[in-house]
Amino acid sequence: MNAQSKQTQPSYNLNCRMAFEPAALERLCQVVRIRGFRIANMAVDSVGEHLDINLILEGSRPIAMLQSQLEKLHTVVEVALAEAPLVRSRVG
Amino acid sequence: MNGAQHILDAFHRHSIDTVFGYPGGCIMPLYDALVDDVVVEHVLCRHEQGCALAADGYARASGKTGVCIATSGPGATNLITGVANAHRDSIPMLVITGQVPSGLIGTDAFQETDVLGMTLGIVKHSYLVTDADEIPDVMEEAIQLANSGRPGPVWIDVPKDVLLQQVTASADQTTRPSAAHCPDLTQAIQMLRDARRPLLYSGGGVSLAHCEQPFRRFATTSAMPAVVTLKGIGNAGKHNPDNLGMLGMHGSLAANRAVDECDLLLVVGARLDDRATGKLDEFAPNARMIHIDADSAELNKLRPADVCLRGPLDQILEGLTRAIESHPLAIDDWRKQCRQWRTTGGFSAADNEEPLSAITGPAFTRQLSRIAPDDAVIACDVGQHQMWVAQHYEFDHPRHHLTSGGLGTMGFGLPAAIGAQFANRNSTVINVTGDGSFMMNAQELATIRRYRLPLKIIVLDNQCLGMVRQQQELFYDNRESQIDLDDNPDFVAMARAFDIPALHIERTDQIRRGIETILAFDGPMLLHVAIAREENVWPIVKPGSGNREMIDESQQTTRKTREQVA
Ligand SMILES: Cc1ncc(C[n+]2csc(CCOP(=O)(O)OP(=O)(O)O)c2C)c(N)n1
Repeated sequence: MNAQSKQTQPSYNLNCRMAFEPAALERLCQVVRIRGFRIANMAVDSVGEHLDINLILEGSRPIAMLQSQLEKLHTVVEVALAEAPLVRSRVG
Repeated sequence: MNGAQHILDAFHRHSIDTVFGYPGGCIMPLYDALVDDVVVEHVLCRHEQGCALAADGYARASGKTGVCIATSGPGATNLITGVANAHRDSIPMLVITGQVPSGLIGTDAFQETDVLGMTLGIVKHSYLVTDADEIPDVMEEAIQLANSGRPGPVWIDVPKDVLLQQVTASADQTTRPSAAHCPDLTQAIQMLRDARRPLLYSGGGVSLAHCEQPFRRFATTSAMPAVVTLKGIGNAGKHNPDNLGMLGMHGSLAANRAVDECDLLLVVGARLDDRATGKLDEFAPNARMIHIDADSAELNKLRPADVCLRGPLDQILEGLTRAIESHPLAIDDWRKQCRQWRTTGGFSAADNEEPLSAITGPAFTRQLSRIAPDDAVIACDVGQHQMWVAQHYEFDHPRHHLTSGGLGTMGFGLPAAIGAQFANRNSTVINVTGDGSFMMNAQELATIRRYRLPLKIIVLDNQCLGMVRQQQELFYDNRESQIDLDDNPDFVAMARAFDIPALHIERTDQIRRGIETILAFDGPMLLHVAIAREENVWPIVKPGSGNREMIDESQQTTRKTREQVA
């Protein structure tokens, strides 16, 4: 474990609805990773032609930046922050 | 019609008449359909990277969609650098690759690669087509996506069996009316009126939005001092006395000074890249900011703006122009100050007067700028020569300057020039390259010969990877590492092997004749220009430093002299 990951990081609860297509989840995860967030938890439901995805994310960058990057994905229908950021300690 | 024929059908509907590609097993059905097609010209490059970069150059020069085609596996992986290049510079591109037959996907079949997975980070969107009936709609959507909003590459991967399947569906061509409307400009106009030292900061977004004319009208009407990013070169116009040129790491002292002192930045179609801003905390410290961009994710990304405007750029610029026409900005003192900086802090490389002296990059580029026709397209590679062109060549239109900005792809120049020449067969297209970059896609000399393209190649040969050598000299204690290219091939002989006549020059008094000769020649020609190995690009800001900390040649010399004395 490196020094940075021992520090506490803000955590976010994000809901995302996207079209069901071959690379849907990879597309989402790739953006989350490259924009500086870690997926701590992920739940996926398929609803008709859509996927409803709930993500618990950790990262020190502004979550609004990630939201706007996710909204740019052509197959993403909606992104919503579910609740105010919590601070989760990852030590121990 | 089968899937492959439907791809061509979409090209016809969208007036796509030039594509760059390379055949192979899984894309053969599309090549078979091309045999009977009389509309689409397929340009066979000699490497798929050449195809992608040529498609990119075609799109940059023409403003149309660039199309590249390749087979599965190595064909697709070879495209990747070119597609990443287009992605980083928001170039509208359509990429079509064959994939192994549907039933073989995931079996490690011959020439199978997971193209969709591998390219997620370098595309605006991508598709794996699983049913031929999807092809008409996918093509419509892909072409529209590549060109709309912030443009970018869209990749369509099609299994071989799907290319061969009969298609029963037809394309849904209902054009969705654009919902975009001009945002409220009141606050921005008020900020412009209140500012005493406003600065116009523009980037590649101006030409991507096809807004060269409205931008020029705004720049002239407002008479605001203007700086440009690498990709915005040409926006403000060659004859605009308020144009301070490029800002940033290799920008002019005048441009960086103006950014430092301005009290308002009007950013148009630029994303505040680190090469332009330098250390962000020290960038435009006294300025409020209005940010206009097509991509909402760019707004407030690196520096919060006081006002963000997103919408049709032409309408925004026209709205601002009208407001200023009725109430001109009172910025005479600021303009005077900037013009003075322009005189004293522009790119000041001397025209070398000594006829027998060695050629310098800046002196050569300035001569080229004077001699080449006004509408010449210059396709650069990456390195010192690229910066000399950005600094010393005077462009009057952004589509005349093709440069790999975001990715900085060595090897871009030659294929991009090929693409630009296909965009306009009658224009003068010149690839300015370095001896390192030239060798990265030199196989495309064969493409020039095949299609008898009259483009010109200028190799500024310093026998090394100059830009890397410069940074090693300045920031790594002059510890040179792996930058020597003194075993380069004989470039003149090499060009001749491809039936391309070539000329070598090495003295200042040969520059004019050299340039005039290649430009006058009716056909492709290469000019090999020997320049000094030790030459540097000035000024320079150390990566990670603020733009105020520019080092120019005289300071560097002073530092060296001081060290020698000590
Ligand atoms: C494909 C690629 N590999 C490596 C680099 C890193 N790089 C940037 S400039 C440069 C040197 C370019 O040399 P040359 O083309 O001879 O131009 P010069 O700087 O000498 O004018 C290198 C290696 C790059 N930009 N692109």
